Amino acid sequence: MSPGTADRDSFEAGRVFYNGHVRAISLQTGIGQAIAHHGELLQGVFQGRDRRLHRALLTLPHPLRMTTATFWPSSSGVIAVRPADRTKAARAAKLTLDHLGFGPAAGDLTIESTIPVGHGYGSSTADVIASIRAAAASAGTSLRPSAVSRLAIEAETASDAIAYCEQPVLFSHREGFVLEHFGAEYPPLVVVGCRCGTEPVDTLRLPRARYSSEEIEQFRTLRGLAGRAFAQQDPWLLGRIATISACISQRYLPKPGFDAVRSIAEDFGACGVQVSHSGTVAGILLDARNREAASRALSVADALLRSGFHDVTRFSINGEGALAG
Amino acid sequence: MNREEQYLSEYEAPRFAKLRPNLHAACFPLMKLLPARFILDRAQSSGQLSAGGHIAETTSGTFGLALALLAAVRGYELTLVTASSLIDDAFRRRLELLGAAVRATADHKGTGDQEARLAELRGILEDRPETFWPRQYDNPQNALAYGRLAERIVRVVGRVDCLVGCVGSGGSLCGTGGFLRTLFPGLRLVAVDTNRSVLFGHPAGPRLLRGLGNSIVPANLKHEAIDEVHWVGALPAFSAARAHYREHAIFMGPTSGAAALVAGWHAGRDPGASCVVILPDEGHRYQDTLYDDAWLEALEGWPVCAPTTPVQLTRVQPGGECDWTYVEWRRRELRDAPGAGDVP
Repeated sequence: MSPGTADRDSFEAGRVFYNGHVRAISLQTGIGQAIAHHGELLQGVFQGRDRRLHRALLTLPHPLRMTTATFWPSSSGVIAVRPADRTKAARAAKLTLDHLGFGPAAGDLTIESTIPVGHGYGSSTADVIASIRAAAASAGTSLRPSAVSRLAIEAETASDAIAYCEQPVLFSHREGFVLEHFGAEYPPLVVVGCRCGTEPVDTLRLPRARYSSEEIEQFRTLRGLAGRAFAQQDPWLLGRIATISACISQRYLPKPGFDAVRSIAEDFGACGVQVSHSGTVAGILLDARNREAASRALSVADALLRSGFHDVTRFSINGEGALAG
Repeated sequence: MNREEQYLSEYEAPRFAKLRPNLHAACFPLMKLLPARFILDRAQSSGQLSAGGHIAETTSGTFGLALALLAAVRGYELTLVTASSLIDDAFRRRLELLGAAVRATADHKGTGDQEARLAELRGILEDRPETFWPRQYDNPQNALAYGRLAERIVRVVGRVDCLVGCVGSGGSLCGTGGFLRTLFPGLRLVAVDTNRSVLFGHPAGPRLLRGLGNSIVPANLKHEAIDEVHWVGALPAFSAARAHYREHAIFMGPTSGAAALVAGWHAGRDPGASCVVILPDEGHRYQDTLYDDAWLEALEGWPVCAPTTPVQLTRVQPGGECDWTYVEWRRRELRDAPGAGDVP
């Protein structure tokens, strides 16, 4: 509907169409969720359509851990958040309501999360994105992933691709746009995760990696191979990409124990290893189509524990029950 | 990017052909556009080349054409140094119509006269010190430019076990091969050279097959990355280019014929390996030579009894224009290859 017809607002199921936006007459209680990620399969710099280089990443989703945000509108004049230190989440809710034409809005925002903070699981971004979704739900609508990403970056300067859920995308995490939609879904993977080191990392304070010309050209080939891996649903190619990206990351944010993780991956015939390029998380990737994937994941987990790694977890992506039983 | 630049950036991309179930060919209309554009882009952004500046290079062919296309579109002055034995009138006109100045050395020995060409180039650089020299033989950006080809290859082919390509500067094979080997550490790199090229240890001499081989050893050739070296004589290369056109309707130059010959043999010998061959330019420039029956019949040795398999050598030794030989190079330095540098 064009702005010129705004005076002829039409009512439908308690909503009003106004200036082209679907808008609730008043805010309601809204709930939003966002999953964690388990670091990245690929991170580096890549050429955009503008032919310039952009920092970007390909996220590995971690569907077992998530944040749930609940927004209750109120007339208090401010957005109050619990826990009180989640100020970025509160800011995200405010930006969202402003964006939808509800500013200045007020209410109580509650963040409940099962995501550990500061290790590269994307806890902060999940809080922010869940809050954006809660605020949008409160306004009776939902936002496209591209709009969610832009708001998330405005709220916390960097984001990840979690707004795209489980769609594989090469995402510019500092500028909030997608450089490449890989189209398909993630190939079937079982991930055995752990932490290398125990000290949390403050992502936004990390110095940015200054990649060499050779690394920049190598990222181009990794991006190409990712295109192939998703098109063919090939966990082995994806594992190879993740391993190379993790090795490049070792030059900028070395993880203690990375070599041990790699050698366990090799011992158990894994597709590869991946890391959080700005955290302490590492994961061993297994082909979920393999009948022995579940037992192999258990063996890998044992080997990691015996080597002294912490927080060993197992989960699958599009594994269709690979870890069941 | 202006519209001419968009055209050239698309023109530099290869088309892919499946020559056998396990053999893909990356067929370029003009492969050298890739390094030329990459090197000029870097020179512009680093300030080595300023607006309207002068570029000079020694080249016997397609790298010069690529520079001439870019110089015309971007408004640079270009001087190309070549040898009289290496350039025909039609090609020279094609360069000059783009505004390039072409200087040809006399080349009495017919070896390509690389030393004399470099001396001529040094003279130009002394006279005009602001001149940008792309240095395709030694500039590491030449090899880096082939990240774009490696990206295209993996998007189309996925895993690669064997890469076959011609060597002149070493940029395309060692550049593409280096990037692919990071992705696939088991990658086998197969170099295609010709007799009396010094690249893998032959003594320099006249070469009938142009566009690959060299009379100097460029820094962009990484001998220690190469697993296997083939020397294809001109006649089997010509014959292979014609057969390639007849069988696949892909009209390529003689170096592409040599590369396709080697790659076809490789792919047939190892059906489980995923092979890729780089075919660097099209056949139009050779219409009056290898694609002309009368021209071919005047050659000594033609019609060639085209070999279908190469002769394996244990030492580097030159052959004739009808021969096709190879050695297991085993990632050696040039000085470590038995027979390399021997004077026959």
